[in-house]
Amino acid sequence: MRNISLLFKQFSRSVLLIAGLTALSFAAHAQGDKAKGEALYKAKCTACHKLDQRSTGPALGPIMTSETDDKWLTKWIQNNQALIAAKDPKALKVYNEYNQAGMTVFTELSDGDVANIITYVREEWKVMQEKPKGGAATGEVADSGPSSSMVFALIGIIIVAFIVILVLNRAIGTLERLLLNRKDLLPEEEVTDAVVIDRFATFRRLLKNKKLVFFVVLAGVVAFGSWNWVTMWNTGVQQGYQPVQPIAYSHELHAGVMKINCQYCHGGAYKSKNATIPSLNVCMNCHKVVKTESPEIQKIYTALGYDPGTQKYDTTKARPIQWVRIHNLPDLAYFNHSQHVKVAGLECQNCHGPIQTMKEVYQYSPLTMKWCIQCHKRTNINGLGNAYYDNMLEVHEKLKKGEKVTAAMMGGLECAKCHY
Amino acid sequence: MLAMMNKIRIFGATMIAFAAVAVTSSCHDKRSTGWEYAPNMYEKIAYDPDQKNPNFKDGKTAQVPPAGTTPIGFTRFDYPNTRAGYDQASLEVKNIIAQTQSNFAEGKLLYEHYCSPCHGEQGQGDGEVTKHGYPPPPSYSKGQSSRGGAMKDLTDGKIYHTITYGVNAMGSYASQLAPEERWKIVMYVHKLQTL
Repeated sequence: MRNISLLFKQFSRSVLLIAGLTALSFAAHAQGDKAKGEALYKAKCTACHKLDQRSTGPALGPIMTSETDDKWLTKWIQNNQALIAAKDPKALKVYNEYNQAGMTVFTELSDGDVANIITYVREEWKVMQEKPKGGAATGEVADSGPSSSMVFALIGIIIVAFIVILVLNRAIGTLERLLLNRKDLLPEEEVTDAVVIDRFATFRRLLKNKKLVFFVVLAGVVAFGSWNWVTMWNTGVQQGYQPVQPIAYSHELHAGVMKINCQYCHGGAYKSKNATIPSLNVCMNCHKVVKTESPEIQKIYTALGYDPGTQKYDTTKARPIQWVRIHNLPDLAYFNHSQHVKVAGLECQNCHGPIQTMKEVYQYSPLTMKWCIQCHKRTNINGLGNAYYDNMLEVHEKLKKGEKVTAAMMGGLECAKCHY
Repeated sequence: MLAMMNKIRIFGATMIAFAAVAVTSSCHDKRSTGWEYAPNMYEKIAYDPDQKNPNFKDGKTAQVPPAGTTPIGFTRFDYPNTRAGYDQASLEVKNIIAQTQSNFAEGKLLYEHYCSPCHGEQGQGDGEVTKHGYPPPPSYSKGQSSRGGAMKDLTDGKIYHTITYGVNAMGSYASQLAPEERWKIVMYVHKLQTL
């Protein structure tokens, strides 16, 4: 038996070795063209194309494999707009299918360059398609093959052992229950009765100790009082509030790693009272193209009724995403973002904390009245070159000169001074 | 002996009380807003733009203006999102704002906030996100436009049309940038085209 298995092992090894070597030699044969093609592909094509899925342009893998007329492909890649102008039927069909977007002209690519790109795309696509099926017979596969089967065997053994333990446990349980059923339980009840009497006696003895009672009551009052104090102090203060959002959006990634400015999404902070939560079209500025496979991004697509396959929106299926509000001032306080961002020139981090490091946003500042007032007392205004204060400085100059100043000059005619 | 026992007990009870206070006050659920005094003040009756709103069919407070309406002070851009619209805008549309230093400076800031993540600070198509795998756009000064011609020859109308509607991997910035802001950015992009 052992002899046979040894023989088989040797035989399979030599077969795998030969297969690996032939694969390598084939790869070496095609390498020159493919490597050049890859460099060109990454420099020229990836802005609009992906191999396996539609991006701005079609998925190149399938379309370039099915299109066998290399001469036509070369013409299209070099100057698609000339083909369209010449009313080539095939070119017009593609052009119209992609909303007449047209492709960048690449007249700088020679026929050889284009051939390299085509080779790269076709071969890479072939490799991509084969990957899920287990790949070709290469050295790596021969190495990983036995180990993966070992792992499966181990997992199988563990599962079997676990089942055996479960079954045994069950059996023990039933046996114990059988034993218990036969026992007489009366003596045990007597024991518990005695314990109750005993406990009651200690309690009564403790109650007679006036000092102890006094201190227990005092401790209770102190404890309740401090709890009350802390609770009332924190009522309405939501510092640290970190709710779970419907989409796991990370500010650490977008604002930290990608260094996208806050204004990109929260432009309202510069213009209005509200900092604005971006509408989903802002997400789609990038996520039409990147991370399309992520389940979190798929939530955006679902909410918009967007089909990444056809890149079309179905507005009848659109549902707004219900983000959970974190920073919530009660109606008794008025806060205006633009006043602080545009006029005062504050950084967002001033109040929102290190937002560029937050995977999940929490409320950094207490947003209490004390907190507001503290900052308003300490911060100097920058009046010079700040349009917001122009009028005020002008009025002050007039006052200094002893000129007449009316309420209207101080904004007394603004509608909201009376009609709010 | 008994007094000694009592002292220990009293001390123990006080310690437990303090520990209880410490636990109740520090044990704070980050997923909850906690108690609110007069919750009506927190759950507003006056709607904020980000709040849900049962008065509208889609449940949003922030509604899109009805089709065909023009807000006061808004400059319309009546060129469709087609190749023909793009070419026509290139011929007819000119920058409407004054060519001043302050407009240019604002354009630069807006460009840095809205465009540079992809296009790069110098407009070379090497912004931060392209270093993390986002397909890079062509350089303003050296690249070729996908709609023909060099990027450095793009006209006012063409750049404005692209900001308004987007092209290829770039989305529309109409919701994020007001017309005047777009024109300020166009001013700055013209400078980047010469780099």
